[in-house]
Amino acid sequence: MAARPPLDTAPKVSLREVSRARAIRRFRLTILVPLIALFVLVLMPVLFLQLYFSFHQWSIYLGSWWDADYVGLNLFTEVLTDPRFGWAILRSLAFATGSTIGCFVIGFALAYLMHKPFRGQALYYVVFILPMLTVPIVVAYTAEMLLYQSGPVNDLISRILGVEFKPAWLTDPNVALPAVTLLEIWNWTPFSFIIMLAGLSAIPKEPIEAAEILGASKWRIFWEVQLPLLRPVIFLALVLRFLEAMAEFPKTWALFQGGPGTATETLPVYIFLTTWQYFEVSKGAAMSYIVMMLMIVIVLLAIQLLRREKRSLDAMYGKAAREAGGEP
Amino acid sequence: MAVARITRRVFMEGGLGLTILNLLPFSNFSRAFAQGTPEERVVAAAKTLGPADVTGIIWSPYLVPMKPVIEEFKKQTGIGLGAVQDISIFDTPQRAMAEALSRSPQFDFIHIDSNMIPSLASAGYLEPLDEYMKKANFKIEAVADYANFMTYKGQTYGVPTDGNVHIQYVRRDILEDPDNKKKFADKHGRELKFPETWEEDLAIQETLMDPSKDLYGSGNLRNRANGPTWWYMIFYSAGGFPFDDDMKPTLDTPAGQYAVEIYLRDKKVNHPEAAGWGTAQMIPRIANGHVVSCQYWDGTAKLNENPEKSKTAGKWIYGLVPGSDFSGKRIHRSLSSPLAALLVNKYSPRKAQAAYLALWLGSGKNSIPIVSDPVNTFNDAWAKEHMTAPPVVKSYSEGGIKAIEKNFQVVAPPIYLTGYLEFQDTLGKNLSEAYVGQLPAKDVLKKTENEWNAIIRRIGQRKLKDELASYKAVMPKRDKPA
Repeated sequence: MAARPPLDTAPKVSLREVSRARAIRRFRLTILVPLIALFVLVLMPVLFLQLYFSFHQWSIYLGSWWDADYVGLNLFTEVLTDPRFGWAILRSLAFATGSTIGCFVIGFALAYLMHKPFRGQALYYVVFILPMLTVPIVVAYTAEMLLYQSGPVNDLISRILGVEFKPAWLTDPNVALPAVTLLEIWNWTPFSFIIMLAGLSAIPKEPIEAAEILGASKWRIFWEVQLPLLRPVIFLALVLRFLEAMAEFPKTWALFQGGPGTATETLPVYIFLTTWQYFEVSKGAAMSYIVMMLMIVIVLLAIQLLRREKRSLDAMYGKAAREAGGEP
Repeated sequence: MAVARITRRVFMEGGLGLTILNLLPFSNFSRAFAQGTPEERVVAAAKTLGPADVTGIIWSPYLVPMKPVIEEFKKQTGIGLGAVQDISIFDTPQRAMAEALSRSPQFDFIHIDSNMIPSLASAGYLEPLDEYMKKANFKIEAVADYANFMTYKGQTYGVPTDGNVHIQYVRRDILEDPDNKKKFADKHGRELKFPETWEEDLAIQETLMDPSKDLYGSGNLRNRANGPTWWYMIFYSAGGFPFDDDMKPTLDTPAGQYAVEIYLRDKKVNHPEAAGWGTAQMIPRIANGHVVSCQYWDGTAKLNENPEKSKTAGKWIYGLVPGSDFSGKRIHRSLSSPLAALLVNKYSPRKAQAAYLALWLGSGKNSIPIVSDPVNTFNDAWAKEHMTAPPVVKSYSEGGIKAIEKNFQVVAPPIYLTGYLEFQDTLGKNLSEAYVGQLPAKDVLKKTENEWNAIIRRIGQRKLKDELASYKAVMPKRDKPA
């Protein structure tokens, strides 16, 4: 057992350091207490109520909600064996994946074009951000006017291609979901653009300059220097956009209400229909919990990936620093 | 002191005397409430409550023509309109159910599809209006049995502001064109005339449409939200009814299959994008002359006949919606949905004031300017008085108003039960899937029945069985208009 150091050799903590530590603790508490209070007072009751409904079969037509019958896991079983729910998940995943990739590719390309200063940059910046500032419901109604089969969009594409191009964006069940995905990409590309632009601007200049001096091509600099450095930002942009897209409702609802047929019945649409059209509040609550679990899994995976990226970046920087400093 | 003895004879004579006195013109007995016009009686009853500004949910296109009528009520009684939440009538059911869920007293009235009455009454949100009607000696003077649409389990829960009955529209110029007459006669071996059955209507639409000129045969709606309205018209006219006496769905029957077949044949004669179109897209096409024939809400006649807004003013023949011989006898069934009505919140502190305001707006005389507004055409004629009132006739045209009166005599609701929205959306979803080719036609009714069974289980078979009588009471008694 290690011997305890003599009292006179123990590190002496100055009064100033003690008061600084106290101040930091106070500051943390001041920040955290309102957040915890908000969580306990507002979110927890909602979550508990939701949990209550998930385990109790209640219909608005049959008495008060506190008299509802306890049904155990029946509602969760019902939801998980409901093919409509399964299809809704698949549609939401397809929509979120497609729109996230679309937003990212275009947003990143625009950010790459914009990250070095040039004349008139501010104007382009405003123009690129404009779609994100448009209210989704307005996007939907505007799209409705533009996307008719004989509407201006098809007309313009037909003129450009020189052949008749007439997809029924709003009424063909095979085209409806891609149509709303394209709208989502138009609406939210600026989000990826802003994040990637911030990421590109934050990359240290030294590695790039070093690569240039060593004669690396622009493509190689992008692929082997910039992209690895951007990986945490890329993950963040993808994860945030994906989560947002999973919850998209206004455009899908305003344009399609789940139709034609069930072609655009995504998770938020189906949960809305279940809760507010069929008034199956209990089933809606169970669905929300399942979706919440799904989202938590996605977020945890994303956090893991982000941590791994950070670790590998730290390791890369550490190695570079060690090599530069001549350390063994 | 002598004690007066009341014998049976004295009692009977007294009663007789009072009855005679009550009937005399100079008598003051019950004068306030028993005499005068319905409007005066409503004012007299409402005045006793004191002034108030009532709040409500109502869509502005419905509210605008009501405003002058409400202002008059305010002048006479002190009861006026306070804050209003302007929500589309198609979104009001969800909002109203949320209000019912929270038992909120926030709104005194809601203006909503009356087919929501069973659901909202079951949720405990609605105030019965019978007592108020009794106090004001008020009766809803609707055409035919239309006032029944406001009742549920023997009580009255609403006052209509909008008939919204479907009528048949056929383009006169196309129907009377000699070339078209010959073309039709050559193809079908019979004379081209106003359609009386679904098959005749389809034949006209198919023969006379010309997509190269952007003229399509049909202007009927086939989207997920509205499609069931058309399906019910066909189904009811084929002798179908959606449930048996045990509340088991009876959709997958010969009548149901016939209705699905007719419903889907519309795809050949309607615009290729009809699967996603609602009224916002279809009404301008009807008024601008891109449709040969259709069944549509009666308010569209007001728009069609307004030369400032329509290219087809004076070019329409209006009439009874087609019927069917499928059941062995000719049955016509029109549909009214959403039938906009004023309903009163049971939890409201101003429910009495809201009830009398609703009665005031629902009197025959007061509703004439509301339903004849040529610009805000959402409120449609429904009262007996409307059928002959010159401003209303002018607004709809002579032919239009006659068609409305005819269709009212055979008008039915969609599902008039608790859970209306659930039943409706499920059917709409499956019909829409079949219309766009996602679901084979033969599976539509089987799938709907399965889903309806789940709804019935959830709401309660016994409860719904109890409501069946109310539903059947709302169904029309005649097969054809008198």
